[in-house]
Amino acid sequence: MFRTTPTRLARVLALAGVAAAVTGCSVIDSFYPPKAATAQGHDIRNLYDIVFLIAAAIFFVVEGLIVYAVIRYRRHPTDTELPPQIHGNNLIEIIWTIIPTVIVAYLFVISWQTLNTVEATSPNPQVHVVAIARRFDWSFQYLGPDGQSLIRGPDGKAVSLPGTMVVPAGQTVHLSLHSPDVIHAFYVPQFLFKRDVVPGKENTFDFMVDATDAGQTFRGQCAELCGIGHQGMSFEVQAKTPTEFDAWLQQQITQAKATPAPAASGAPSPSGSPGASSVTASGPPSAQVTLDLTAKNVAFDKDSLEAPANQPFDIKFTNADQATQHNVDIHKDSPTGAVVFDGEVITGPDSRLYAVNPLPAGKYSFVCKVHPTTMIGTLTVR
Amino acid sequence: MATTALHPAVPAYRSGLYEWITTTDHKKIGILYVVNSLLFFFLAGLLALGVRAELAQPKIQFFAPDVYNQLFTMHGTVMIFLFIIPILAGFANYVVPLQIGAPDMAFPRINALSFWMLPLGGILMFTGFFTGGAAAEGWTGYSPLAQRAYSGTGTDLWAVGLILIGTSSILGAVNFLTTIFKMRAPGLTMFRLPILVWTVLVTSVLVLMATPVFTSALIMLFIDRNYGGHFFDPATGGNAILWQNVFWFYSHPAVYVMVLPAMGMVSEILPVFSRKPLFGYKAFVFATAGIGALGFSVWAHHMFTTGSVFLPFFSLMTFLIAVPTGVKMFNWVATLFRGQLIFSTPMLFALGFLTMFLIGGINGAFSAAVPVDFALHDTYWVVAHLHYVLFGGSVFGMFAGLYYWFPKMTGRLLDETLGKIHFVLMFVGFNLTFFPMHMLGLMGMPRRVADYSAAAGWSELNLLATIGGFTIATSMLPFLWNVMISLRNGEPAGDDPWEANTLEWATSSPPPPYNFDHLPEIRSERPLFDLRHGRAGNHA
Repeated sequence: MFRTTPTRLARVLALAGVAAAVTGCSVIDSFYPPKAATAQGHDIRNLYDIVFLIAAAIFFVVEGLIVYAVIRYRRHPTDTELPPQIHGNNLIEIIWTIIPTVIVAYLFVISWQTLNTVEATSPNPQVHVVAIARRFDWSFQYLGPDGQSLIRGPDGKAVSLPGTMVVPAGQTVHLSLHSPDVIHAFYVPQFLFKRDVVPGKENTFDFMVDATDAGQTFRGQCAELCGIGHQGMSFEVQAKTPTEFDAWLQQQITQAKATPAPAASGAPSPSGSPGASSVTASGPPSAQVTLDLTAKNVAFDKDSLEAPANQPFDIKFTNADQATQHNVDIHKDSPTGAVVFDGEVITGPDSRLYAVNPLPAGKYSFVCKVHPTTMIGTLTVR
Repeated sequence: MATTALHPAVPAYRSGLYEWITTTDHKKIGILYVVNSLLFFFLAGLLALGVRAELAQPKIQFFAPDVYNQLFTMHGTVMIFLFIIPILAGFANYVVPLQIGAPDMAFPRINALSFWMLPLGGILMFTGFFTGGAAAEGWTGYSPLAQRAYSGTGTDLWAVGLILIGTSSILGAVNFLTTIFKMRAPGLTMFRLPILVWTVLVTSVLVLMATPVFTSALIMLFIDRNYGGHFFDPATGGNAILWQNVFWFYSHPAVYVMVLPAMGMVSEILPVFSRKPLFGYKAFVFATAGIGALGFSVWAHHMFTTGSVFLPFFSLMTFLIAVPTGVKMFNWVATLFRGQLIFSTPMLFALGFLTMFLIGGINGAFSAAVPVDFALHDTYWVVAHLHYVLFGGSVFGMFAGLYYWFPKMTGRLLDETLGKIHFVLMFVGFNLTFFPMHMLGLMGMPRRVADYSAAAGWSELNLLATIGGFTIATSMLPFLWNVMISLRNGEPAGDDPWEANTLEWATSSPPPPYNFDHLPEIRSERPLFDLRHGRAGNHA
């Protein structure tokens, strides 16, 4: 009986192997991270592949020994004598202390080597980007050609891209991370990399997106719990060819100098420009219609509103999120259309009565400019 | 004095609430620990079901982020501080004095005090749910998120609850160390101690050295929040990374506090059900001490992505700790070899521990390789890893111990069929829940998110994990039913139902107050085996 069981096991294992081969590569792929998109990511992926191979080998050997012992050494009704009472063997102990020591020493050395290449910084990176992670959004600012000063608009504010970082593919980007509030983490799965954004401390690193990935967009998101809006704190990395990137950056610089408000680029400025538009954000209610809108858990409580055409109306806006900034902007048509109303940004818990000037009938969007990718709704004026 | 003649004046287990509240008997206190911990286990399990229900599909269905963040924070905190650590302390409380032939713990009243601080701390923490929200910063309570500006009263209750629970641990550790060093029966030298006692000894040293650090960090946090301290908040000149250093200086050794006693239990159970001695007893002792010592030099591997730690040192120490752990694994496997394995429920759970803890050890090595950790840190990979260690390891070990010592505690055996159903459901459910999390982490799903995009491709694996979670919950039903029927009608256990090796099986089930009428001679680490077989088997 003991002799046949392992054979039967072998047959089952062979069947399982065939089944695995049929379900194919997708299962095996799921044991690996996504294809790396940066030079540093490729190094990390190579290290992962080695660690994975060794881990899989140890797993199958030890798990196999356990399964073998369970099948081979099960107690049989005829077992009346005690099995041999083996207390140990010093030579074996020494062997199985040395073997894992050698394996982990090897793993340590190769991971240290990879660490050095991943952490290496270039003395003159082509682009300097400053990432600002704030509850619960990202904005990206660029240093000018001198590598020192931020690109600024005429009002002295740095030009700031909400939620999207544009980088040249095939060139070294030096990113520095800043947080004005709590700890966040910059994480792009396809970079196989993350780094914490720690308030009171500047973390920096270099990365280079593969030249072949120009035109690609990579999803990233905050990886360190930062509060109720953590799950929506995402961003994108757009890779352009260096020529496209230079043109794009030049355009940002000229735009910043020429345009009084960042609305033309569809990019709301960062917080701190309360009442920038001609609309007053407070004052006696002069309108007949008042719409209620509440922001809670970094979401609006309504995804559509209706207002009368060609007459003033009010929005009673409540921000119920503790220590979190929200506002209401109204855009023509889509959430990235022209701004027709810019409400004061308030920190919850708080509320405001926004007085909105008459709007012609049509389709509008209301957006929280602090969270332009997640807090969006439609406003129908008729 | 090799023998003690004590005739119990009162029955072993007086019923009556008053007796349970005032008892200083280590066995009753041990049972109180176990029951209290299981109650918190079920509560924290319900919180986890809430988490899994929310994550089953993209979008918010059941819990908005404000509540969701409380769910996983309290799940983690309660599972660690009110279930795993205390239930292992509970087993140690019950078993250690018996295994060393002592009448009780060294300080019985302090023992009772240590226990009663636990429910108090737990209730305080749960009060948060009724005072505007429990703690919601994750069980790690990172500052500045845990500061007054970002979190409510729940965090104060969380901190105070943990200070109480920490104090309970420290008192317990002093008690265990004194008991083990001063109250061993004649003949029970250090190298004849059961492995469980060794693991409790090393665990107590860890608790004694690490817990005060955490307790003082919690007091600093409380001062920051309530009295304008400036310890951990950069906005007021504090240092956010300082919290992480002191937190992990405790919380990494705490992982060994949660795993070592479970390893000890498995090291008791495997030899009994293999009918062989533990392979490499001394190697085991040295490996346990080695894990304890190295355990203090690896805390910053939780902080590789902060940009604030010396990476190569903590990477090397983290890799090295795999060596003593590996030695233990090989010794367990060697214990099985050439044995006569009996698959009673305690043995099944012990084998579950071996197979699952192995995965928890291997997937931990990925994070020791710093650059790989840059990819995996704070993703679901880490959630998978920690559950393979703490659930696949500690919880499987804990259930092995529960099925093993239940007959000693109650005088009745648990039903084997229900026990096997429990094991199979839990084993399958556990792997369904946590194995897919490896893939989710590799795909880039961060931990501690209430929602994810349907476009991310994470939906199927999350649904699978949720199904697994509810399977684990289902496996508790046959277990509870088993306990209920066995307490009333279970088969009487007798003194030694398993043909075991250690002293607790030399007295009645349940043992009388002060434990022993008579102690057998102790000439090896298996006094009861010697009693049954003479010294026949002890040299091979």
